[in-house]
Amino acid sequence: MDEMRKLEAKGLARAKSRSRRRRVATIRSRTIRGSLALFAILWAVVFVQLASGNDPVLSQKPKAERRSATANSTARESASEPVREPAPEFEQVESEPEAEFEEVPPELEFEEEAPVEIEEPLVTSSS
Amino acid sequence: MTEVGPHLFWVTSRAAGIAAMILASGSLGVGLLIRGRGEPRRLLGSDARALHEALSLATIVAIAIHGLALLGDSYLHPSPLDIAVPFTGAYRPLWTGLGIVSGWGIAALGLSYYARSRIGAARWRLLHRFIAIFWALGLVHTLGAGSDAGQLWLLLAIAAPAVPAALLLLGRLAESAGQPREPQLSARRGPAAPAGR
Repeated sequence: MDEMRKLEAKGLARAKSRSRRRRVATIRSRTIRGSLALFAILWAVVFVQLASGNDPVLSQKPKAERRSATANSTARESASEPVREPAPEFEQVESEPEAEFEEVPPELEFEEEAPVEIEEPLVTSSS
Repeated sequence: MTEVGPHLFWVTSRAAGIAAMILASGSLGVGLLIRGRGEPRRLLGSDARALHEALSLATIVAIAIHGLALLGDSYLHPSPLDIAVPFTGAYRPLWTGLGIVSGWGIAALGLSYYARSRIGAARWRLLHRFIAIFWALGLVHTLGAGSDAGQLWLLLAIAAPAVPAALLLLGRLAESAGQPREPQLSARRGPAAPAGR
C-alpha cells in the first residue's frame, strides 16, 4: 500500500512539474511573440510617420531652413530636402559650399578689370 | 513624402529603443508584483518569474538592437566606442550617455541572475534592486534624447506600463522604509510572511 502511495505521489509530482514546464514554455513563447509584435508595430508607426513627412525631427529642420532661405532670398536645392538635426561633422560639410560661393566674386572682379585698357595707349605712345 | 531608404537603420533603432523601454517597464512591474515584502504572493510564483525573466531578456535584446542598429546609420555613423562608452559620442552626449549607462546597467544586473549561485543569493537580491535606478535612467534618456519624445503617442506608450511600475516601485520603497501603506489590513492578516524569495 505504501509503495502504491509513493508511486501515486511521484506520478502526481511529475505531472505537476510537466504542467509547470508547459506553462513556463507557453509564457516564454507568448512573451517573445508579443515583443516581436510590439517591435513591428513601433517600427511601422515610426516608418509611416517618417514616410508621410510628419517626423518630429525631419519636419523641424526644413522649417528653420525655409525661414533663413526667405531672409536671404536665395533658395538652394539643399534647403528643400529634409535634413536631420545636424551632427558636428555634417555642419562642416554644409559650410563648404557657402565658402565656394564666396570665392566666386573675385573672378568677376578680374573680368571687370579687363576693360581698363588705358595701358595700351600708354604703351603705344611710349614706343 | 520623405525618402525613407537612408533612414531605415535609424527607424529600427528608434523602434527598438521604445520597445526596450516598454518591455523594461513591464518587466519591472511584474518583478515587483512577484512578492511584496510582508505580503503573500500576488501572482503565481513560477508563472510571474517566467514572465519576468522573458520580459527582461526581451528588454536586453531590444537594447542591443537599439544600439547596434545605429552603427548602420549613414547620417550619424557612430563608431562602436560611441555606442558603447558613455558620454563620448558627438550626438547629445549627456542624454545618450545616460542611455548607455542605463543599457549596460540593465544588461549586467539582469544577466547577473544566471550567476546567482556564484554571487550569492542575498548579495544578488541586493544588487538586483539597483536595476530600478537604471530603468529610471532609461526613462530620462528616452525623454531627453528620443527623437519622438514630444509625440503624444510615444508618451502614452511609455506611460502606460511605466506609471504602474513607478507606483509599485514607490510602494515597495515605502514598505522597505518601514512605512506600511495599509497598516489596518496587515494588522488583520496577522504575522507577516518571511521576506525575500
